[in-house]
Amino acid sequence: MAKARVLLLGEIEHAHKEWASVSEIADTIEPKARSREEFIEECKSGAFDNVVAAYRTFQSVAITGLFDEELVSVLPKSLKFIAHNGAGYDQIDVHACTAHDIRVSNVPTAVDDATADTNMFLILGALRGFNTSMMALRNGHWKGSPPPPLGHDPQGKVLGILGMGGIGRNLKKKAEAFGMTVQYYNRSQLSDELSGGAKYVSFEELLKTSDVLSLNLPLNKQTRHIISTKEFDQMKKGIVIVNTARGAVMDEAALVVALEKGQVWSCGLDVFEEEPKVHSGLIANPHVMILPHMGTWTVETQTKMEVWCIDNVRSAIEKGKLMSPVGEQKDM
Amino acid sequence: MAPSALVVGDIYFEDAKWQALSPAVTLKEYRKGTRAEFISLLKSGIFDDVEAIFRSNESTTVTGPFSEEIISILPPTVKWLCHSGAGYDNIDVEACTQRGIQVSNTPNCNEGAVADLTIYLMIGALRRITAPNNALRAGKWRGHIVPGHDPKDKILGILGMGGIGKEVAKRAKAFGMKIIYNNRHPLPASIATSLSAHFVSFEELISTSDVISLHLALTPSTERILGAAEFEKMKTGVTIVNTARGDLIDEEAMIRALEKGKVWSLGLDVFDNEPRVDERFLGSERVVVCPHIGAATVETMAAMERLVIENIKSALFNGKLLTQVHEQISQS
Repeated sequence: MAKARVLLLGEIEHAHKEWASVSEIADTIEPKARSREEFIEECKSGAFDNVVAAYRTFQSVAITGLFDEELVSVLPKSLKFIAHNGAGYDQIDVHACTAHDIRVSNVPTAVDDATADTNMFLILGALRGFNTSMMALRNGHWKGSPPPPLGHDPQGKVLGILGMGGIGRNLKKKAEAFGMTVQYYNRSQLSDELSGGAKYVSFEELLKTSDVLSLNLPLNKQTRHIISTKEFDQMKKGIVIVNTARGAVMDEAALVVALEKGQVWSCGLDVFEEEPKVHSGLIANPHVMILPHMGTWTVETQTKMEVWCIDNVRSAIEKGKLMSPVGEQKDM
Repeated sequence: MAPSALVVGDIYFEDAKWQALSPAVTLKEYRKGTRAEFISLLKSGIFDDVEAIFRSNESTTVTGPFSEEIISILPPTVKWLCHSGAGYDNIDVEACTQRGIQVSNTPNCNEGAVADLTIYLMIGALRRITAPNNALRAGKWRGHIVPGHDPKDKILGILGMGGIGKEVAKRAKAFGMKIIYNNRHPLPASIATSLSAHFVSFEELISTSDVISLHLALTPSTERILGAAEFEKMKTGVTIVNTARGDLIDEEAMIRALEKGKVWSLGLDVFDNEPRVDERFLGSERVVVCPHIGAATVETMAAMERLVIENIKSALFNGKLLTQVHEQISQS
């Protein structure tokens, strides 16, 4: 019997051994296409016919573009599984996939520690105002002249977590070690056991009473710009906002205005609305802590993520189902 | 007649509490100026009858250190030198003791703030944030980004398990690190257990740690406690974090170890010749640097200033300090 065919979209950087073992049960193929147009052509040409499963990375969007209805509709009919390497899968239109009988998996859990670590790093960087001092020192000025404003201790501050999934819950434990009190808003209230006793509040109360607001929710139609001008106006003056989720959950231009007005004292961002483009108002502001989407960028976590995603591919081929289907398709 | 107290350098947050000492205490001040002018004012007799002095680490930029030169010309009425700062190596304590001047510092106020900075530097170093942070600010998105490492399951060796060391252990535990430490004496069992920290010899700490963090006071016996011989014994790929004192480390030996790849990354808040920082630290993508801002928060500085004022009140009205420096306590 012919081996199953698997399409690789993007690079395997660490889990080479695990990927090599996939070729024991499948023939792996990579696109020749270097653009979305070419990829669509290549699909239509039949080059990927009989492909059953695809492994895709976040970065492969540079070639294929978003996995929207247009793209999904030209994928070979044989393709039944897309294993996405990443926790956030907003690049994929899951409804379109469902309509075409394609199942999608993501990588939950493996991302939690590294993302929460980055999140905590950004909370500290923003609250303490470390960036100004770091930059001044690198430019040859000891403490800067005038010295930057003093920062604030996390001790005793209220951290509001918007989205209490795996990453939010992981963050809670770390933030509490710094003496922060944690409250959260989530689509649904969690059990005390799962939430670790964190206080469940309404969205409005989260905005109004948090000293630090952390965005840890997925990006979808409902959450795009969930934080914008109206929300900034409800927040405590001097709030600190941190985002390691997706840039588009927050209105970046409105954030810059809120920073200028002092409504938001500082922010820590790992993600931006139009990566790799970053609002010039953020780059020019030395008081904010910004990183270029590196929340899971460690050897250990990248390896774990690749292995998890490869395991989804293996499960699809060997068992005809994914290990970690995305929430929207759990009952598919 | 009311006793007199002199403030040297500025009071940033609790000036109202200082002013409130009057009229029970006659207040004098030398907030701005130069060492030369301060010395000549001391000699002029204008500060005669001062019994207590409020000074700080920050005031060193006004008068220079309280070395033997200044201690020897303090008026004979001076009995109490109340210092804002946990570190006080800019005071010649021996000279004070010789003159019957008792010295207090603010040992515990900064523990959380310094521990927070320690974790920030550790994550920054492990995650190699310098290059992407610089690239993003230069409008380049990620620049030369190297995958970092997760702190989870790594061995953190804490050198010096005083107040700050314990706060660091508490936080590091939340990041899933294994904690070993060396200290003059082992911690009481209950505290060690709650921190999951294991006492080891100095040799074992430097040879088995993945991350080494220094939290020692600078004394003649701890100066250059990490030198060429010690770097030789460390694990290849070790990360070093120093928020204590620059002189604890032989900087030249550390730079050589960094260049050879023995040391993978560094997180430094202190340097042996502040405010001058070696160019090789500033130019390295493997180093995260801050300009000695361990305690630079509103809340912590205010707490330190309050403790100094409490020490002055206790000294002038109860005849003893609240937080006398330990060298003087062990001698009495």
